[in-house]
Amino acid sequence: MELAGPGKSDGARMGIKMSQELVVVAISVILFIAFSATLNNFLSQGNIIAILKNVSILGTLAVGMGFIVVGRGIDLTMVAVMVVGVAFSIWISTWGVDFTLAVVCGALLAAAIGLFTGIMVAVAEIPPIFATLAIASSVYGSGRIVFASDVLYAPSNIAWLKFVGSGTVLGIPMVVIIFAAVAALMGFFLKKTRFGRLVYATGDNPNAARTTGLPTRPIIVTQYVISALIAFTAGIIMLGLVTGIDTRLYNSSLIYDVLLVVVLGGIGLSGGQGGVRNVIVGTILVGILTNGMTILNFSYTSQNLIKSVILLGALAIDAIINPRDEQTSQSGDI
Amino acid sequence: MKLLKNCLFAGLTALSLLGAANVTTAQETDQVGRAPYLEALKGKKVIFVPISQGMDLNQSWVVVWQRHAARYGFSLEVRDPNGDTNAGIRAMQGAIAEKPDLIIVQNPDVQTYARLLKQAQAAGIKVLQVNMQSATQTDSYVGNDWIEMGRLEMGELAKHCTGPNAVSHKVVWLAGVQTGAANIYMRTGIDEVLKANPELQLVSDQPADYMSEKARQITETVLQQHPDLCGIMGIWDNAEVGAGAAVAAAGKQDQVTIVTNGAGSATGCESIKNGLLDVIFNFNSPIQAEIAAQQISELLQHPERQAGSEKTIFFGPITRVDKTNAAGRNCWKLDELK
Repeated sequence: MELAGPGKSDGARMGIKMSQELVVVAISVILFIAFSATLNNFLSQGNIIAILKNVSILGTLAVGMGFIVVGRGIDLTMVAVMVVGVAFSIWISTWGVDFTLAVVCGALLAAAIGLFTGIMVAVAEIPPIFATLAIASSVYGSGRIVFASDVLYAPSNIAWLKFVGSGTVLGIPMVVIIFAAVAALMGFFLKKTRFGRLVYATGDNPNAARTTGLPTRPIIVTQYVISALIAFTAGIIMLGLVTGIDTRLYNSSLIYDVLLVVVLGGIGLSGGQGGVRNVIVGTILVGILTNGMTILNFSYTSQNLIKSVILLGALAIDAIINPRDEQTSQSGDI
Repeated sequence: MKLLKNCLFAGLTALSLLGAANVTTAQETDQVGRAPYLEALKGKKVIFVPISQGMDLNQSWVVVWQRHAARYGFSLEVRDPNGDTNAGIRAMQGAIAEKPDLIIVQNPDVQTYARLLKQAQAAGIKVLQVNMQSATQTDSYVGNDWIEMGRLEMGELAKHCTGPNAVSHKVVWLAGVQTGAANIYMRTGIDEVLKANPELQLVSDQPADYMSEKARQITETVLQQHPDLCGIMGIWDNAEVGAGAAVAAAGKQDQVTIVTNGAGSATGCESIKNGLLDVIFNFNSPIQAEIAAQQISELLQHPERQAGSEKTIFFGPITRVDKTNAAGRNCWKLDELK
């Protein structure tokens, strides 16, 4: 962060100033207490594990998205890469290829798509929101032509896949462990490695980073490859959980939910700030909220309404507590 | 030399006899009405606007209709909006502008195309609706009796979840899209059964949006809340495998009965064999497609009848499929239909 001068997060961290992250934590705690007090079995061990399990896919995707947003990018290809990468694996396994090998091929395809996206953003310098929007659509479209059906099922006798979906270690479901591992690795990578610091520098001020001599292009390309691989991992989690992958997920609001988690947690779209902790905070709020509303049997429409009102509320509170100054408004959002 | 001559003569005679025979058979055995039938269908234009061609039922319909189209010389064009309602509206507008002889439509919900269907009929285009109805009734509807479907599924749960031996009276309805025709009408059937069995307790009524992961999440949460859950009913076998996965993960496969409906493709049968689903009310989409094909040929054979002048309805068959009969014709594969 030295490269970027005095960071805005430093100010927030020092004083009693409440960051958006703390606002979200506060809302989560209030909701958690309210649900625990009013709903039977909300506080049970089983339900807490269910909450974590139900956000594992969303959370894993959000870790990848957060990583990109920190570097002042956005990756709208994640859901497309997730469904097409995994569907591709299943598709080639139907030719008689060993399923594990097929998964490796799917991961390679995902990485290749990430590489292409990265080159489009970093070298061709297409703004990431447009580049990834277009690539997402073409990736999904190609998949749609190649695979006959929207829903593809994995072979039913793959032991490791069953373990991913229903296995537990010390009572914790594998999917939650995978999510935690991806988040922990990313946290370590961002905060403790030189590369991670370079991502912050690039996100905070790309021009300054390049002028200083940082390899901004390779950094951006690597980011997109990693986010594509994380998206593929989320797809494998889904395959383990429900035995099949539905490529129509691309048409759902999942990618916006992922962005919601990232922004809600307090990773600014202007880049250079926030980290994995913000993603986890956002993920847990969405998890608690969805779980409580499902128990309360709220309709789908009202669930979406409440979710968006809470997002808007969190952003509004943040805007009041942390008003934009000259520096933040100059750095600009996407 | 003589031999050659004889052979040649014999050959020629045989040929001429064969030729004569051909002419006479053609004249004598032309099937009554076939020529005008072929004439009526030849060169006619049919446009199909589905919800999405990625679904198993849609694929089987189109395979069957394409076979009819190729055999009898009408054209079938599929304008796939791929689940996007706006693209669907554009596809419908485009189809109406082209003035085909017939539009086949699978409605995403009861309202979206309601006015467009009226426009099509006003423009003299006949409209056949398949499986998902609109608020506007047109020349023909071929598909499920969805009220009966709701009654059958909830009736199945009533069998398991009432009486002294039931685990509990708690049941779940995993809906699809709340504005869809299937959803609205199934709900009517469900309510009838619930009224007749007041001890049944509907503990959750949430749409899974035809997505297996959403179905899994809802089921997992509901199971925490109601560990003694007795039954779950859904709307599409490919989505309810998610509910099955949640029940299996909780180790409650023997306790919770999962009932749904489906097009009858082999993947549904696999899910029954894997223990993810218990009962599928199979509406056998290839047979639906044959009934619709019959409607296509009827509508094309009578160009003199005004669009919308007659309104007919055909409900397809529904077969209850469980472990005992998840085989053969109840589990079709697309390649076998071609």
